[in-house]
Amino acid sequence: MSRKLLFLFISVLYLILIASGLTLVYSVGNPEPVQKPVSAAHDNKIRIAHTEIFGKLQRPQVVFDHKKHEEAYKKEGCSTCHPVDSKNKLIFNFPKTIKGKGKKAVMKAFHDECIECHKKSGAENKKTGPVTCNNCHKKEFAMLKKPIPQAEFDFYDHNKHVKIMKEKFGKDDCGQCHHTYDVKDQKLYSKKGTEESCSSCHDLDKKRGPELAAITKVAASKGLSVRKISHQQCLNCHLECKDSYMNVGSQDVHKIHNEKIACNSCHIADDYRQAVSCTECHIPTDCSKCHTGKYRTTAELNNVARPDRGQRAISLIDIENSSMREVPFNHQSHEKSVKSCRTCHHETLKSCKACHSLTGKPEGKGINVANAYHRMLAEQSCTGCHNKMKAQKECAGCHYYISAMDVGTMNPKKNNCSSCHAGKQIAMPKPLSYAGNNIKEEVEIKVLQKEFEPSKFPHRDVLNKLVKVSNDSKLATYFHRDIQTLCNGCHHQSNTSAELQMPRCGNCHMVDYDKQNLNKTSLLSAYHRQCQGCHEKMDISKGRKCSECHEANKKGPSAITQIKNRNVVRQNTTSMLNVWHPK
Amino acid sequence: MAGEKLETVAVEQKKEERPQISSIGDFWSYFKNELRPKGNLSTAFNLISGIVIIFGVILLLFRFAMGIGRPVTNLSQSFPWGLWIGFYVMSGSAFAGGGYVLAFIVYILGVNKYRPVLRAAILNAFLFYVFCSVVIVITFGRWWNIPNVFIGNEFGASSVLFVVIWLFFLYILTSALEFSPAVAEWLGKIKMRKTVGSLALGAVAFGITLSILHQTGLGALMTMAKGKIHPLWYTEMLPFMFFISSIYAGVSMVIFEGTISSKVFTYQIDEENRQSRDDILIGLARICGAVIFTYFSLNLILAKFEGDFALINSSMGYWWLIEMIGFVAIPGLMFIHGAQKRNTLTIQAAAIIAIAGILLNRYNSVFLAYNWSLPFSEKYYPSAIEYLVCLAIVFVQIWVFRWVVNRMFVMRKSPQWASTLDKD
Amino acid sequence: MDRRTFLKIIGTGVAGATTGDLLTAGKSSAGERISGKEFYGILVDTTRCIGCRRCEKACAEVNGLPNPDISEGTNETVFQSLRQTTDKQYTVTNKYDTEKGTIFVPKRCMHCNQPGCTVACPTKAMKKRPTGHVTWDSNCIGCRLCMVSCPFDVPKFEYGKAMPNIQKCNLCWDRFKQGVLPACVEVCPTQALMAGTRRQILDDGKRRISMNPDKYVDHIFGEYEVGGTSHLYLSAVPFEQIGFRKDLGTKPYPEYSSFYFKTVPLVATLTPLFMLAVSAAIKMGKESQKQKHEEKHEEKGKH
Repeated sequence: MSRKLLFLFISVLYLILIASGLTLVYSVGNPEPVQKPVSAAHDNKIRIAHTEIFGKLQRPQVVFDHKKHEEAYKKEGCSTCHPVDSKNKLIFNFPKTIKGKGKKAVMKAFHDECIECHKKSGAENKKTGPVTCNNCHKKEFAMLKKPIPQAEFDFYDHNKHVKIMKEKFGKDDCGQCHHTYDVKDQKLYSKKGTEESCSSCHDLDKKRGPELAAITKVAASKGLSVRKISHQQCLNCHLECKDSYMNVGSQDVHKIHNEKIACNSCHIADDYRQAVSCTECHIPTDCSKCHTGKYRTTAELNNVARPDRGQRAISLIDIENSSMREVPFNHQSHEKSVKSCRTCHHETLKSCKACHSLTGKPEGKGINVANAYHRMLAEQSCTGCHNKMKAQKECAGCHYYISAMDVGTMNPKKNNCSSCHAGKQIAMPKPLSYAGNNIKEEVEIKVLQKEFEPSKFPHRDVLNKLVKVSNDSKLATYFHRDIQTLCNGCHHQSNTSAELQMPRCGNCHMVDYDKQNLNKTSLLSAYHRQCQGCHEKMDISKGRKCSECHEANKKGPSAITQIKNRNVVRQNTTSMLNVWHPK
Repeated sequence: MAGEKLETVAVEQKKEERPQISSIGDFWSYFKNELRPKGNLSTAFNLISGIVIIFGVILLLFRFAMGIGRPVTNLSQSFPWGLWIGFYVMSGSAFAGGGYVLAFIVYILGVNKYRPVLRAAILNAFLFYVFCSVVIVITFGRWWNIPNVFIGNEFGASSVLFVVIWLFFLYILTSALEFSPAVAEWLGKIKMRKTVGSLALGAVAFGITLSILHQTGLGALMTMAKGKIHPLWYTEMLPFMFFISSIYAGVSMVIFEGTISSKVFTYQIDEENRQSRDDILIGLARICGAVIFTYFSLNLILAKFEGDFALINSSMGYWWLIEMIGFVAIPGLMFIHGAQKRNTLTIQAAAIIAIAGILLNRYNSVFLAYNWSLPFSEKYYPSAIEYLVCLAIVFVQIWVFRWVVNRMFVMRKSPQWASTLDKD
Repeated sequence: MDRRTFLKIIGTGVAGATTGDLLTAGKSSAGERISGKEFYGILVDTTRCIGCRRCEKACAEVNGLPNPDISEGTNETVFQSLRQTTDKQYTVTNKYDTEKGTIFVPKRCMHCNQPGCTVACPTKAMKKRPTGHVTWDSNCIGCRLCMVSCPFDVPKFEYGKAMPNIQKCNLCWDRFKQGVLPACVEVCPTQALMAGTRRQILDDGKRRISMNPDKYVDHIFGEYEVGGTSHLYLSAVPFEQIGFRKDLGTKPYPEYSSFYFKTVPLVATLTPLFMLAVSAAIKMGKESQKQKHEEKHEEKGKH
């Protein structure tokens, strides 16, 4: 009996194995929805995961309510959890001390400082945090992502700080925040007129030239990244200064803010005796007040004063022994088109020729001044930035297809060198207009008509739009000196000195394929790439569908290949047959 | 089995008379006589298998009329090969491996202990390959062009399938030659028996070569599906792995089929034979166990070498573990255990599980672990018609096997006049 | 068997085994090596494709396949899911939404330099012509090994028919013989498809990349993948984002089964000899044992 039962048992077991195996196999293509990370607002809760130390986490990450702890330890201050340095300034590290290196040491440090503190408060019968694993490492935190938008300290903020420091605290010294480092003497010092951006020395990811590299090496050895020093520098100052607003009586507060902001901006509770802390708007210490995620645009910063480093409004770029005329560079107007000086002054705020000489210096990594100003793919060069501007959708319709100006390209149309190398004279070109030129209003394209009706191209309307776009942009106006430059956007090989009239596309582009040069653009693809390409790059919604440019030909042939014209095509392709001898 | 009455066979054995065939006419009348069913036609097995076979023939007509798409099979553009190729061409050839393994053991190594199961194994190999070829004709879409492979009209000599088809053909001839002594005995022709008997060794050597080549060839067929077969099953050594698994597949099939035949044709087995069966079983189990051990370790080594261990922690990985541990390792252990404890039941159970394992392995290469990442809606599972046709062909094979065994000296000992010829 | 015969046989066997390698065709030979002609191919520039699907219509026209409806309304529905080529459509266009906007990718047979399908075909119905076209002929036996062996899953089988064919793009072989461009190349309105010798189109692809480094990813798909293909692709985004596999490797697919072919002649010649040798050795052993046994009996009998 037992044998038969055993047999039955084993066969059932194997059948179950097969069935479950087949379920596995057939369900492979439909995986369970992978838990996607869920983004949540930052709201002053800090995500502790440190995957760079721990790798793949064994327990869910911890989401730490910083604000709660801040409130709880208002009296004791931040130094409860954060260490202070020799000058009694807070260093925003946590944990305070990590004994040893590696995952275990870090984990132990966190647990020691967090759990011990919770246990202590619990022993004192105060409201305290969790002491067990699952109450900090909560399951629902596992997939939370709390992206902290990068804080941006733009010209507006800089201006505000300069004003407030001066007016409120009577300090006119840039050295309050700006300093530099003497590598020889190994100490910080500040000298007026040499102030740089924090990132110059503290952006540890960027590769720097020899002069700055020595300083960044020291900064790196002390772990002083931009993130670290911004919190240390900014937060310490804010924490010290915020009390300055606390001494202002409520009458003065109301006088200052009278009719400037609504009552419920501060009195958010029903009880009007309560008001939010002044730090909601002034001297913020909350994460979300600096890390807003909102960034001002270049246009919005247009009227903000730039930091004063003694820069000239117009600077004549004149390289000693160079073969080119001087470039009258309008520094002031270029200042208005960028959000940060570092866009162009990518290393320090010195002038370009300080590091880039005619033949190249080690400070400039050997890049000579011609390449520094003309390198096409580098945003800090003149042509590079201009190329980037040309990629905007108003410009890209033509400029996507025009080879970018580069020192290396054998571009036959290098007549725009003189636009910049104008010598001591600058002449701001006039806005474009085509008055006086005979511009066709509409062009009927019917040379390829077969399955579609002829296309009616609104020639003048297109030119009008291009003229408007060009005149609206200062950069475009400067370089589009002549209406011919706009015509060249489509009539791209046009050269007025050799022409009787503006060429048509079909003058150069063959109807049939050029069998000697199969990569040469045929007329059909010339029209479609030029027209459709422009519409696509300028993000124009019309002109994407066939019928929007040409109606379908209801009477014409429905076949689109030239099967019937076999013999005709054969005559044109003897060269191809000679090459291949097919069977 | 009620296809034959015990007394009739026993009487025939006692007679030991040679049939006298001296002309084609004689042969034809003898053959017609032999074609007549011996025994009860209307048994349960006969009825069921008969119905299935009739259905199968009708469905085959469908297949030839409608092509091999739905609803005949569930094959699709992502899954060009399905149950027919997976079951008959791939697994069937593996099971036929018993023929060459046993021929190697008996003829080459001279271990006469296994002689009683030799003829059945060779017959099985022959039949499996014949029906394999039948399935090839059924499953290939343009089957009328199959003679192209033999007659020319461009030899695709660089193709593995070309080699495999040729080898199938040659192997059918070779195994027919290996089995022909039994046919000679059935026809009672002394001279024929002498000639083919002397050719036995050469045929066996050739047959083993062909078998090795086409077992590896079947594996080589799938080597070009590199990106589509799951890495745990795919290895560039796939031909070699198919060859090794065919060794124990064949022997397991010999054990399985031998178990069933010795029950069904029990009156054909004499005392001496019956006593030695257990020894044979145990010896075969030892062989199986050793080969399975080699195969299993090779699989592990290859998986480690190709860096596939990381994939085990996934659905397909668990399936691989089920196949490897449940259907390869465990039967191997059962074989060894059964051989040591002389427990024939364990051995027979292990044979069944090992056969299932081979089926799973071949199915995996062909349609389960092939294009495994497609969603369920695009996956292939065999249709009912495919199952029925397979079953029908299996039944036809069983019927032919039964017919041969009931008339020729397969399970029975060779007649006296034949065995004397062998002594030379 | 005596030692001399044994050695003779072994000698023949070794000779046969070593020369057998030369006799077996293990791979399809590249057309370039045999005939000095060049492969013909198509360069597909996905930055130019606008998804108009005229290539699909032209292909259907010249091959007698059902005309796909490419009128404007269909584009909404057709691009909703990724399509594969079928037995009625040799080329399909798929739409991908990427960081650089919408990209359309026409998908068809890659006409590999060393195709897995041609090596797999047992009757050479799938051929790689000396000019690079991979075409299908009617001496096919319908085994579908070409479908199994294609890394791009290109050949499609006519499952519903009683007399089924394998259908795939054949680079307009018939038109090529008359000196005409492939139909899809001829009708493409933006010249996203460019036909020419493989060398020409590879050069042109590289030229486009070097002249416009910000517009293209610096890689031509098909230059080296699976040993090189004749359909080359240019892209503005990494190829995995537009439906190409990253893991194909540069080894031509026929080389995966070449291991088997190298061993076939070896096994075919050595195994029978080995078998016969082993069998003879064992017989000799048995006989000598018998002799010894008999001698022992004799001795015993004497005493």
